Amino acid sequence: MVAPPKDACSALAELIAIEILPGDGVLITVRPSVELEPLDPNRFFMLRREDGLSPKIPRPFSIYREVAREDGPADLVFMIKVIGDGTRALANTRVGESLRLIGPLGKGWPSFTEPADETPWVFLAGGIGSAPFFMAVEAITAAADEAEASGERAPTPPPFLLYGAGTRELVYDAEAFSELDCALHVATDDGSFGFKGNVVTLLQALQAAGSIPQRVRIAACGPMPMLRAVERFASANDLECYVSLEDLMGCGVGICNGCVVETKPDGPLGAWPNAKCCVEGPAFNTNAVVL
Amino acid sequence: MADLSVRFAGLELKNPLLSASGTFGHGLEMSGFVPPAALGAWVSKTVTLEPRHGNPAPRICETEAGFLNSIGLENRGLADYEATVLASLENTDAVIFTNIGGRTPEEFAEMAARLDGYDQISAFEVNLSCPNVQGGKLPFATDPATAEATIAGVRAVTKKPIFAKLSPNVAFIGEIAKAVEAGGADGITAVNTLLGMSVDWRTRKPGLALVMGGYSGLGIKPVALRCAWNCATSVKIPIIGCGGIFTADDVLEFLVAGCSAVQIGTASFSNPALLGELPALLESRLAEAGLNSIQELIGTLRRES
Repeated sequence: MVAPPKDACSALAELIAIEILPGDGVLITVRPSVELEPLDPNRFFMLRREDGLSPKIPRPFSIYREVAREDGPADLVFMIKVIGDGTRALANTRVGESLRLIGPLGKGWPSFTEPADETPWVFLAGGIGSAPFFMAVEAITAAADEAEASGERAPTPPPFLLYGAGTRELVYDAEAFSELDCALHVATDDGSFGFKGNVVTLLQALQAAGSIPQRVRIAACGPMPMLRAVERFASANDLECYVSLEDLMGCGVGICNGCVVETKPDGPLGAWPNAKCCVEGPAFNTNAVVL
Repeated sequence: MADLSVRFAGLELKNPLLSASGTFGHGLEMSGFVPPAALGAWVSKTVTLEPRHGNPAPRICETEAGFLNSIGLENRGLADYEATVLASLENTDAVIFTNIGGRTPEEFAEMAARLDGYDQISAFEVNLSCPNVQGGKLPFATDPATAEATIAGVRAVTKKPIFAKLSPNVAFIGEIAKAVEAGGADGITAVNTLLGMSVDWRTRKPGLALVMGGYSGLGIKPVALRCAWNCATSVKIPIIGCGGIFTADDVLEFLVAGCSAVQIGTASFSNPALLGELPALLESRLAEAGLNSIQELIGTLRRES
């Protein structure tokens, strides 16, 4: 029996701030009515408006940033690309209004810091797929700081973040990412910002130039054609690779069987042909699933 | 405080709120959101004799006023249900209905016979009406003789209460209700999903991989209410209403129309804690109306103008 995560709850949250990003993105900051455990990167929440002005089925969003407060539960920031009725309704929410918040859900990324490993991580983000990487970089930085404070080696080197998008305005919140403690490289399909190309061709160029070693570990999030290209690259170079998948979800808690991902017959998830993206993912090792 | 308990089909439930099959797990998986003892009864996702891998994706699609699904009864089969789920339900104070799905009348009976000895199961819900298997032909829910024979087959092997879950995709649901009553059902769940579909005209693609699926949620409430009322006025056995119920007022409407209890399905996707929040809301509604017991409302529809 696959059950919802033990720390998941269904609560109301107040919209604290909303920032329209260039292009089709929006940043919303919400204040949960309940205290949540500290969140691992790439856990996600189901969100919808509580006032009837949005679809009844909530939509899943990775946690983007967590903003600690002294006098109450941390605020949660979500980076949302407006693509349909559910996301449009969220983008039209006004400060002070109430949202339904279900989560935290999913398993998040695998640990990027345990066990300790010298092989650096390369994070490949496609457009709005950058959202689950912000806290991932922060987690690696925090682990390194902690190690340094006790006179130990960092468990893993600082990561490389390769952020690709169609065009400049789809590189969401680029300035915030540029302030992270990682090597950030941007690629756009039209060359309007950074390298002209995609994240895979950018990674190849950086490896050819010696800026990124040949031996890396990969975590990727973005549109499916990108993830397929990443998987081919990782497989051809025999690199450990995780992909974070997006799917239509009914419940987000492992109950409705809507968000199925095809599993590899001889893979680590066992013989059952479907995995549930919401509770078994959203991140999967590419040796486990068929993209 | 108003009394929310209801009694029907030999069962005594602390309130008239049940989870709808397929929306709340096989066992008590959702107990992190809703305490096990908070519900009148927990209804399992449909269990089939053999494991079923389910239908191709996309399997779900939200529409303007509801939700389409084409899951295809994905589940790990009866043996796994016995070993995993029923084992986890020993010593629970929750009331459990096991929903069974078969490909033939004999298979329904075989499953009921195998499950009859488990004390954890308070009742069977017989899924005559899944639209996402057997090509949406609904062989058990559209033909009165087959519906009656299927229920009679289950009746022959168990003394536990049997609820027949009917489909709204028929012309005269009251006729099917009479058939399952004649077959020995102790009650009726009305209704399963409506057959529906969705199209994206730009891509020319259907919203669901198998094109047709089961339509649930807000938009079906009037249809479900009508079906439940048709059943209630056609038979003497109790009716559990189901379809588009989101609020305490929705619950009470179904009771007035003749239901002894209700099931909440799609609304649990909107808020998985809803089922645990509804009892207090029902109590305050009843208090506002000056009613002492929720049973006073059942079947009280006034047709005179």
